[in-house]
Amino acid sequence: MNAATPLPPKPVADRDTQPFWDAVAEHRLVVQRCSECGRWIWQPRPLCPDCHSPDLVWTDVGGDASVVSWTVLHPPVLTVWQDKLPFVLLLVELNDAPGVRMVGQLVDRAGTLLQTDGTSEGVDFDAPVSLRWRVDEAGQTLPAWAR
Amino acid sequence: MTIRNKNRQPVVAGLHALPYSKDIGITERHSGALAILGALDDAGLSADDVEGLTRYVWQPTTEMEMARVTGIPNLKWFGAQDYGGGAGPPTVALACAAIELGVIDVAVVWRSRNRSSGGRPWAGQMLAEGQDQFERPFGIVRPADGIALIVRLWMKQFGWTREDFGRVAIDVRGMANRNPMAMMHHKTLDMEQYLSSRWIAEPLCLFDNCLETDGALAIVLVAAERARDLNASHRPAYVTGYALGSGPQVYAMTNYYGEQLGVSPNAYVAPELWKNTGLKPEDIDVAQIYDAFTPQVPLFFQEFGFCGEDEGADYLKSGECIPYNTSGGGLSEAYVHGFNLIVEGARQIRGDSTSQVKDPKHTVVTGGNVVPTGAMVLSKEPW
Repeated sequence: MNAATPLPPKPVADRDTQPFWDAVAEHRLVVQRCSECGRWIWQPRPLCPDCHSPDLVWTDVGGDASVVSWTVLHPPVLTVWQDKLPFVLLLVELNDAPGVRMVGQLVDRAGTLLQTDGTSEGVDFDAPVSLRWRVDEAGQTLPAWAR
Repeated sequence: MTIRNKNRQPVVAGLHALPYSKDIGITERHSGALAILGALDDAGLSADDVEGLTRYVWQPTTEMEMARVTGIPNLKWFGAQDYGGGAGPPTVALACAAIELGVIDVAVVWRSRNRSSGGRPWAGQMLAEGQDQFERPFGIVRPADGIALIVRLWMKQFGWTREDFGRVAIDVRGMANRNPMAMMHHKTLDMEQYLSSRWIAEPLCLFDNCLETDGALAIVLVAAERARDLNASHRPAYVTGYALGSGPQVYAMTNYYGEQLGVSPNAYVAPELWKNTGLKPEDIDVAQIYDAFTPQVPLFFQEFGFCGEDEGADYLKSGECIPYNTSGGGLSEAYVHGFNLIVEGARQIRGDSTSQVKDPKHTVVTGGNVVPTGAMVLSKEPW
């Protein structure tokens, strides 16, 4: 790609977050869980905030979640998404990891970003969604959610 | 209540705001210096008198750079406060604390920002590090995108409607219509216009979002014992107290990963502010509420205890609501990271507002309540 090609923001991992992105590359969703007190931890970090244990285990979680909140993004956001807007952005809570909430885009069942006509595609509070894998415009794999 | 020495109470002795515009035509270094020199002149002081400078972390001009430009000979106190629009009262507090401790007598706090002509700060941020790596690649790019998710939750939790937000936009526009300095001085707004405006990030429409403005403002803070010597023609505004707060597991702008979903950092600021000032909501005559987004206003009123904990929207239409954002705020006067709210708070105490409340004794000024933030009270009378 040349310099003029618009790109989406690129996630930059660090030592505390690299295992998350490594798992994503293998189409696995992982969340840290404290091996001492059992607390689920999001976003990634080096210590459990409750018991300060450094023994946080990257734990595979299933792909079922429910909608906590959502927005429909309208242009202008970034040039790279100009012909994909409006699309729905979700805040979901993972069924397997109570209290863990993640941000993700609404995709179809094949993992393609769903452009809407300005509606929220029937998304509602507590609606069930399931994990899909979206490859963004720069080739980056991202967890995403389908109804 | 905090420790109080009447001689050391910080006083807003000078203030200045450059005219707001879409393109101020000078650098933030330049406009900030003009605002500072204007505020010093207003206080009857000069750059030689300045001992402390505090700024927002987001201020591109450092304290040292500003000291060089304005010729301040020696800074004995300096520092910066983070978290975007949460930084206003905390930046003032950083200067006040040094004055109260007797470390310095005179400090200047400023914010200059070319937020219109300088472009949108998020447009060029293509590397997402830290918390951003879990948000920006997914579409949380503009401030409104992150806020929209929590606003929809607030609407569910508190029963708020779009008309409640529209009422805020229209209220502050009315204030701007009386303020010749306001960017929206000549533009009226009604509910039909509000409801038919374009979406930004649902449920937020165009008029739920603040302006994009070039602006520069400064205030001069002086210890009360030094302020008595100043031959100022205007009434001083006393800093009665302030508080900062974050709450647990806080995230700036995307504060929805913790256990207390929907609770803002202001819920932690409020009880500390009332404790530190010895005041209560009924003592406040006029409020300057950080309003980058309309829903921050009803949240302020309920989290600071002006009404029940889910009654912010009802309070706004109750007829008991105190005047707020009397210059037009970030929504309709200018968006300069809330510094115009600080200056307007001092103007209300001086009696210089274009929507002047009759003889106000206390005004509260807040920072953004979707980030770690703070609030303060400016008063007519000293401790």
